[in-house]
Amino acid sequence: MTARWAWRQITSMRTALILLFLLALASVPGSILPQEGADPASVQQYFAQHPALAPWLNRLGLFNVFASPWFAAIYLLLFVSLVGCVVPRTFRLAGSTRTPPPKAPRFLSRLPHSASFTSSLPPAEAADAAAAVLGGHGFRLRRPGASDSGSWVSAEKGYLREAGNLLFHLALLGVLISIGLGGIFGYKADKLLVEGQGFADTVSALDEFHPGRLATGSDLAPFDITLKKFSASYLTSGQDRGQPSKFNASLSYTASPGAARQSYDLQVNHPLSVDGVKVYLIGHGYAPVFRVTDARGKTVYDQATPFIPASTSSMLSDGVVKAPSAAPVQLGFMGVFVPTAEAPGGTLSSAFPAPRNPAVSLIGYTGNLGLDSGQPQSVYQLDTTAMSKVPGSPHLLFPGQTWKLPHGQGSVTFTGYKQWVSLSMNYDPGQVPALVCGMLALAGLLLSFLIRRRRMFVRAVAADSGPGSIVTVGGLARTDASGGFAEEFAELAAELAGPDPPGDPPEASLAAGAGPRPGGQTETGA
Amino acid sequence: MFNVRRRTAVTVTAVVAACVAAGLAVTLTAGNGQAGDRDYIGGGTSAWLYAAGHRPVAPDFSGTTLTGSHLSFSSYKGKAVVLNFWGSWCGPCRGEAPTLAVLSQKYAKDGVSFIGDDVQDTPTNALAFARSTGIKYPSLNDPGYQVAQDFGQAVVINETPTTVVIDPAGRVAGVIYGTASYGVLNTMLRDVVKT
Repeated sequence: MTARWAWRQITSMRTALILLFLLALASVPGSILPQEGADPASVQQYFAQHPALAPWLNRLGLFNVFASPWFAAIYLLLFVSLVGCVVPRTFRLAGSTRTPPPKAPRFLSRLPHSASFTSSLPPAEAADAAAAVLGGHGFRLRRPGASDSGSWVSAEKGYLREAGNLLFHLALLGVLISIGLGGIFGYKADKLLVEGQGFADTVSALDEFHPGRLATGSDLAPFDITLKKFSASYLTSGQDRGQPSKFNASLSYTASPGAARQSYDLQVNHPLSVDGVKVYLIGHGYAPVFRVTDARGKTVYDQATPFIPASTSSMLSDGVVKAPSAAPVQLGFMGVFVPTAEAPGGTLSSAFPAPRNPAVSLIGYTGNLGLDSGQPQSVYQLDTTAMSKVPGSPHLLFPGQTWKLPHGQGSVTFTGYKQWVSLSMNYDPGQVPALVCGMLALAGLLLSFLIRRRRMFVRAVAADSGPGSIVTVGGLARTDASGGFAEEFAELAAELAGPDPPGDPPEASLAAGAGPRPGGQTETGA
Repeated sequence: MFNVRRRTAVTVTAVVAACVAAGLAVTLTAGNGQAGDRDYIGGGTSAWLYAAGHRPVAPDFSGTTLTGSHLSFSSYKGKAVVLNFWGSWCGPCRGEAPTLAVLSQKYAKDGVSFIGDDVQDTPTNALAFARSTGIKYPSLNDPGYQVAQDFGQAVVINETPTTVVIDPAGRVAGVIYGTASYGVLNTMLRDVVKT
């Protein structure tokens, strides 16, 4: 008994609406807090800025809302609620389309809408004529059976209303399934790309790869992307000075090995679509180019080194340079890059995010980088436990300048800079089905709003005198929230009466609400 | 509206339903942690051996070496090949370099050729790496991971370093993800040389 009652609660309209509301509410933190899947760098930044709060938010899954168990719990409950509601209703609809309309009531004048007129035809023929008219309007008809007496027609129309309603519910289910599909078979990946660099879409090339439950590295689309050039424009005046106004990443790509190379200007909210994968521009930064020579005078490092912006308004960025092949001791540098150098109080800062006066400040280290042990290391961090700081650190360099390390330990040259972009690759096979289902849901909703379920009854009895008959018409709209049945009924009644009776116009007594409403005829909505 | 008992029942039902859904949700959303964590598994290694008859065909890859000459896998027909994906920035690659240097010389007389595939790197950094680790065999200059993509579905190159052992018939006999240890690679090579 309790189980049945609980099931009724879960599948009730009210529960479904509450869950739908909860689903919307649960998406809110996803748009307020930075999300692991969309922007992992911002999440790390948030951790750094809120060291006490962030771990708790993380435990609640608030940095990955759409993959969190509680979010899934809501949509699974909604799913169950919808299934529990839709399945029995589908059977009921199937049943009701097979059931003919009820027999015509005896006293049609008691229905909310009724009219009567006289016909020159005998009752049976008058009923036949009425059936032909109603049939022509797409009504489903029921005529007297062998055991029934009298001449009458029952007609019903508007089954599509419930069908539309069901379509709406089924389409909502479809949306939920599509979202789930995306989570199971889709994947998300990130890649940092410096100007002039390219990458083939393989797991080892990706910085981050988050496959769905049933997605693997062999599901990656075989495209490759090269960053030709990145440019950013910033506002140069006003109170929003320094705010970015436009980003443009000029890409070239091939959809598969050997395919023709194409160009694309990637911009924020203007993703590249390749092989069904959407590629978004989600970040950018500077990659100063360093050349390092060791004590023997050999060049051991020459590379554009991505630095991570610590502030997006000034683009002051930090990063590290590791020269593990330097001999006899390895060299490492921790650096700060500023696009527009400014040192009012002796502390290097950046006055503007565009590269107007780029400079780097380096702290040098000599010793053991810890790479030879075979342990993986982050390329953005320097392990200085087995290293010693080079005297003269920090050292400021402008492009083209070289810092000769003391005691002939080598040198580092800041030869220039490049820019990098951060790309987010998103494959979601549920996107198109979700769109289609969304449109179907809308169509279903429209059907259920615009179509009314209504019944027409016609009864003909022999006239008191002569060969003709008296015909009574009754109408009943089972759901008439939007109104309009009164007009339809009047038109139908007039058409049933026909143009013929000379000098005897149909006395249409449109008695809406006059007669007692038959019980049990109201339809429960949604 | 509700009496107390009924309200309790609502709460209980809601809690039970939520728990069931949460349980399902955890199972469904627990991503397939496979590659996401891979970067951070310290020195973790996994090795795969393919039995004869089940070996995937190695793709025909080619490119320019770090020193600027052309290298094509097709010119190694009939020879066993070890293909090592590496980068000078990668700690495990540095860790396994001495092993590769030693084994490449040990198996040279058996006709085994070693080829490196230097990814996400610059030739300057890579050549300095080779000099400092004593690696003599050629490496392709492959900053964009093209060769890894060539392997496509045959063998998914999941991480750097990855070492692929190809038998003389041009089929993949074994793959080592992560640091190649002397013992594992030596065993794979002994097996390939024998057949």
